[in-house]
Amino acid sequence: MLEILIKNISKIYFSEFKRKKKIAVDTVSLSIDKAEVFGIIGVNGAGKSTIIKMIMGFIRPDSGQIFVSGKSPSDPDSRRRVGYLPENPYFYDNLTAREVLMFSCQASGLDKQTADKRIKILLKQVGLYDEQHQKLRTFSKGMTQRAGICFALVHDPDIIILDEPMSGLDPLGRKIVIDLIDDLKKRGKTVLFCSHILNDVERICDRVGIMDGGSLEKIYTKDEILETADAVNNLEEIFLKTIGRDE
Amino acid sequence: MMIRKLLALAILTYKEGVRDRALFGIGLFSLFMMTGSILVVSMFMRELHKVTVDINLSAITFAGLLLSFFVSINLMSKDIDRHTIYSVLSKPFSRSQYVWGKYLGIMLLIITAMGMLTICSSIAIWFTKFQYLVYFQGFSWIEFYKAVYAELLMFFMLNALIVFFSTITTSSFITLLFSISTYIAGQTIEEVVLFLKTKHAADMALSKGITTIIDVVQYILPNLSVFDLKTQSAHAITISWNYLAAITCYSGAYSIVLLIMASLIFNRRELK
Repeated sequence: MLEILIKNISKIYFSEFKRKKKIAVDTVSLSIDKAEVFGIIGVNGAGKSTIIKMIMGFIRPDSGQIFVSGKSPSDPDSRRRVGYLPENPYFYDNLTAREVLMFSCQASGLDKQTADKRIKILLKQVGLYDEQHQKLRTFSKGMTQRAGICFALVHDPDIIILDEPMSGLDPLGRKIVIDLIDDLKKRGKTVLFCSHILNDVERICDRVGIMDGGSLEKIYTKDEILETADAVNNLEEIFLKTIGRDE
Repeated sequence: MMIRKLLALAILTYKEGVRDRALFGIGLFSLFMMTGSILVVSMFMRELHKVTVDINLSAITFAGLLLSFFVSINLMSKDIDRHTIYSVLSKPFSRSQYVWGKYLGIMLLIITAMGMLTICSSIAIWFTKFQYLVYFQGFSWIEFYKAVYAELLMFFMLNALIVFFSTITTSSFITLLFSISTYIAGQTIEEVVLFLKTKHAADMALSKGITTIIDVVQYILPNLSVFDLKTQSAHAITISWNYLAAITCYSGAYSIVLLIMASLIFNRRELK
């Protein structure tokens, strides 16, 4: 069963003054199955975040179609079963982690009892339980990132979209996130995420899409990655080869 | 479910606003002005009630303006500036629900702040009245509260404008500039229109283009001067209930139209 379907989407940005054209996403097609972990990798400006923003309905594709659980991203209902972590999440300074998570639960229609239970479990999992009543402005970048992950997962969504989930995390934080994604995978959740950290992508993804200059150059399955190269940094080699910068 | 989601967003916005450090500054400044009014009044020889009412109503207006221009703008525009909106809109909110939820939260904040300021003002006026009872024969509490209510209506409209500008601009600074300009224009447009009808204006021979522009602009800009009832309240002139009903409808209708327009524009906006 398809959870995310992307059909030939393109997006062009124009600079504000000179109206200079920049192709952010160029005719990308992609489908992600239920219970699949799909990773997108690419250099800065490759179009990874633009695709994610289009899936979330923040921006519209100039052409092509996107379906999330069979619904268009312009329909708020398409986000009912979605959990999203933006790149460099920024929350309300004067609110506590618990208040922000409670909002996430209320907005997703969870009752208070279930919300309390979920908040407690997740905060303990990411190691923020003792800081739950602390205002978010006192949080470090890593703590904010972990709070953002809780915000995305607290309502137990079926589709999880993470934009650079390892950004700003220390090795322990990275391990916690990888364990969380592993756990989501075991529970049959669909995960789409983009990252710069190739080792992590290689470790947890069922399939990996490599993007360059707005195009989805190639999609590899985990087995293909293991077969293509036998060096330690398999994905790094494949990535550089795919985008033509392996000299 | 929709109401529950709207309330969740409104309460989130309210909590974020009510804990803003700027709010404490604004509150302290207003308290200082109100307490100061008790001391200042003692320097006047007559019409003490007018001075007291004037200072207190001005303090409420000034605090409301600071709150709208600095706290409300932060609550709406900074959401977009700092991309906090990504987290909010990742929940099943439509863009229109986001606009209305934010506005409700801001209004809750304004109502709370105005409520607190009105209580403080009432205490300051009561204390002055108690000290100089003889000068307060012409004072009317009802007219004072009617003037406060009119100020609240003005802030409903001003904040709808702020929400509207936040949806069409890309930075909180531009929203601030637009909001302040519209506030000033809204406070003075009636005077300009009245002046154009005087003999002096007829002698000035303004071009037809300018008079046409003013004619059009007077219907687009909010006429905020209709909410300024300080003079009537200070002189205890009875403000009719019909007038209050009319300005309530005006503020409500203008704010609703602005919020519908804001929702429509925001629906089309790309959040890069």
